[in-house]
Amino acid sequence: MYDSPKTGTAVDQKDIKITARKVQVYYGDTHAIKDVDVQIEDKTVTAFIGPSGCGKSTFLRCINRMNDTIDICRVEGDILLDGEDIYDKRVDPVQLRAKVGMVFQKPNPFPKSIYDNIAYGPRIHGLAKNKAELDEIVEKSLRRGAIWNEVKDRLHAPGTGLSGGQQQRLCIARAVATEPEVLLMDEPCSALDPIATGQVEELIDELRENFSVVIVTHSMQQAARVSQKTAFFHLGNLVEYGETSQIFTNPKDPRTESYITGRIG
Amino acid sequence: MKEQHIASAFDRDLEAIQARIMKMGGLVEAAILEAAQSLEDRDEERAETVRAGDRAIDELEEMINEDCARLIALRSPTAIDLRIVLSVMKIAGNLERIGDYAKNMAKRTGVLIQMSPIEGSHAALRRMAREVQLMLKDALDAYIRRDAALAADVIQRDRDIDQMYNALFREFLTFMLEDPRNITACMHLHFMAKNNERMGDHVTSIAEQVIYLVSGVKPDENRPKGDKTSVDPSIAPTMAYADTDEDD
Repeated sequence: MYDSPKTGTAVDQKDIKITARKVQVYYGDTHAIKDVDVQIEDKTVTAFIGPSGCGKSTFLRCINRMNDTIDICRVEGDILLDGEDIYDKRVDPVQLRAKVGMVFQKPNPFPKSIYDNIAYGPRIHGLAKNKAELDEIVEKSLRRGAIWNEVKDRLHAPGTGLSGGQQQRLCIARAVATEPEVLLMDEPCSALDPIATGQVEELIDELRENFSVVIVTHSMQQAARVSQKTAFFHLGNLVEYGETSQIFTNPKDPRTESYITGRIG
Repeated sequence: MKEQHIASAFDRDLEAIQARIMKMGGLVEAAILEAAQSLEDRDEERAETVRAGDRAIDELEEMINEDCARLIALRSPTAIDLRIVLSVMKIAGNLERIGDYAKNMAKRTGVLIQMSPIEGSHAALRRMAREVQLMLKDALDAYIRRDAALAADVIQRDRDIDQMYNALFREFLTFMLEDPRNITACMHLHFMAKNNERMGDHVTSIAEQVIYLVSGVKPDENRPKGDKTSVDPSIAPTMAYADTDEDD
């Protein structure tokens, strides 16, 4: 008798994509993130949940240095992407953001054509040698964004003319066009109806094949539906981090329990 | 979890479901005791009350299942709330089965009253039923108090029920070997003992749900199994196949 290959453990043992160690974030005198240690896995959807003002978006924005744009914001501690410190002086934030894409709460297409919305990133990062290659990237990205069939006949129409759900998928397609390794999503569905939300969630699940996805959401049900790992933030602390199914059936920390069951905590 | 939900209607729904489980538990406890007592007193009317009362127990189970389905659909319970709903549904199922066994005992009582009594058997069955009822009471108390230690104790006590069953099994066998005219009555009495033994298993299952509710993990499957009649031929050399339907 031969043992069958142990694929189970191989799947479970994901590589670590992002490591945060003792991360502190201050806005002026306000200590917004306190001592956060977390390891985010590759090819996994990780959800950040927590009440408003708990620091989940702030922490998300640390991962591609979006907080650099806020003058009074100060980040301490280490955030490593594939083992390299992203706050190292030699790291160019623009290059970093090509690797770590972001999708925001409100769809924000550029006031340009659908085609140019997608082509913008690949152009400035020099990812295409000629028009044919660029066309290919645009099509591939729109397909990954699960919106190709809806827009393929009007690529030169303005992106702002699409419906809200289509705009959001366009923004996701734009974010994946630069071939990022990590995709950060800050409440990507909060402005969408349930059908568009379902489409974006389906898309997130497909994106997991190629990317590490980190999503901030206020919808606990959404976190439960799309993520494999969940992190609960409260008052700037990372209270609990674990398998999504464990967090939602048997959380270890009473604060997590209070929050996810909708009790006053 | 002492804290209240932000949506107070959620708390009211959960409390209403748990109140129904307690009501159902009360009816089932009474049915067990009454069924055994009606045999001892040879009281056909009392046995008939137990038989008729099973309908109310079944209806409560239906209502609890509907309440739980509604709560899952409307409130998407998570964590402790989810475990409450899941455990309530299972406990309702266990209680319904226990109610059926009590009803079956009452049916056999109706037949046994027509025959001459087997000496000592009725009191022994009543003691066994009393033990099962006490276990059920403790299991339900453990549920209300979220007391995993008491639930664990209930699980251990199932061994006593199994031993009582073994003893009765041997005794009835002896009566039947002594005089074949005892066979009909002893067969009915044996099924009543077996009913009690199965009730004990359902009570154990309720206690396991309490442990799951409190801790979030199922207890280990190392609970005592004291019913040896189906595996040990030395207990019943001539009737080793007497009990083949259920293994615990």
